[in-house]
Amino acid sequence: MTGPAFDGFRRPDGTVGVRNHVLILSVTGLTGPTARRIGRAVPGARVVTTPYGSGLVGDDAALQRRALTAFGAHPNVGAVLVIGASPPLVDEVVASIALTAKPVEALILDDCDHDALTLTERGTRIAARMMREASRARRVPVPLAELFLGMECGRSDPSSGLVANPLVGAVVDALIDAGGRAVFGETIEWLGAEHLLTARAANPEVARAIEAAVLRRERTAIDAGLDLLGNNPGPTNIAAGLTTIEEKSLGAIAKGGRSPIRGVVGIAEPLPGPGLYLMDAPAYAPESVGGLVASGAQLVLFTTGVGNSFVSGLAPTIKISGNPVATRRLREQLDFDASDVFARRASLADAAARLQALVLEVASGTLTWGEILDEGEDVVSRLGPAL
Amino acid sequence: MNWQATTLAAGDNVATVLQPIAAGETVAVWTAAGVIAITALEPVALCHKIALADLAAGTAVIKYGQCIGQTTAPVRQGGWVHVHNLRSRRAQAAGGAT
Repeated sequence: MTGPAFDGFRRPDGTVGVRNHVLILSVTGLTGPTARRIGRAVPGARVVTTPYGSGLVGDDAALQRRALTAFGAHPNVGAVLVIGASPPLVDEVVASIALTAKPVEALILDDCDHDALTLTERGTRIAARMMREASRARRVPVPLAELFLGMECGRSDPSSGLVANPLVGAVVDALIDAGGRAVFGETIEWLGAEHLLTARAANPEVARAIEAAVLRRERTAIDAGLDLLGNNPGPTNIAAGLTTIEEKSLGAIAKGGRSPIRGVVGIAEPLPGPGLYLMDAPAYAPESVGGLVASGAQLVLFTTGVGNSFVSGLAPTIKISGNPVATRRLREQLDFDASDVFARRASLADAAARLQALVLEVASGTLTWGEILDEGEDVVSRLGPAL
Repeated sequence: MNWQATTLAAGDNVATVLQPIAAGETVAVWTAAGVIAITALEPVALCHKIALADLAAGTAVIKYGQCIGQTTAPVRQGGWVHVHNLRSRRAQAAGGAT
């Protein structure tokens, strides 16, 4: 294979995983504790739960179903045990995940005499068998073009816009040039920089979608009576030197590089094709990362200024900072130290080459600090009131 | 490193300091047109911003070559530019823009 490559897990549907997780997926709030109990009984299994259930309506219900299904169908997941309180939702999620042709089994509380302990016992046996079967999979070489990156920033400071985000942008540009895909969200952090994003829109329709998404978020803040100062940028951002949302946004969008923007997708929606996309989604890291991973991102590049420990459970999340204080303090949180670029001891281009090498290494199996320390969670946003 | 602060694009009227700056310190600032020297009027913490020129109240503050908000009070060259004298021009409640 010529050009950059990594070793991944080729799935029956042709997609590529950078991990081979067995997932315990609880699709109703009632069965979340059981999912976590099964997860503890089968070390190494990943657990995704939701606190919500039948009260969700409309777009909110559709988003929960889409995202939870997407976590199960995710290429980093080799096998899924779906559990839930009652049949219809479980059956629908299982049917959708089964389209990927990966092993998927279901257990329903109604069929276990409403006994969480019975559900735990049956689930543990299934998960254990899945774990053994999953361990038989082997990685194969795949080209860089098979990679799908999500980009996120959290607890930013001015070093993020100066170093870490442009560094990620350079890696993303190389990925897009190679035929890969990438997405970033945090719509409120386009505010003040939207003219630079619309200038890169692939067509006028995409430019209008970007503008409309920003105006909707700005309106949400205004209608809530919020002055964004103190909310976004938040107190940690401000203490570290950021002042206005415009300043934060101008730094934040650098993580998307310079490639054309092909479109704007909704939370947890799959990308229509290769290239760079935006996701119209909340900025708070757990919600944002959850949406990126549900859309299929296999790996997340997460920049921070002062430090941020949140990672995805399903997608290895590479933490990057250029802040010289944070990189000295947070040695078991930050996977990539870009403080040499901040101090002008290294060029951005050299650091970008090192970061791309780390991305390929992590995609091939090297663990991130977040994986080693089990910081991962995958959650779904809420959109509105429930019944 | 032979400068202690940097601009990000031509036209910036603030610079980001790359190390903590003390009041009275002479700060070498990298700009596209060459390194310039500014005297800090007050302490500026790591990554915070220092004014490169006298800015009247209501002046657009430029970083990345883009407007990041406007001053709410006069700022002298070498002054610390932060949330006490810089406000967003966006997401203001009706009539709230200052």
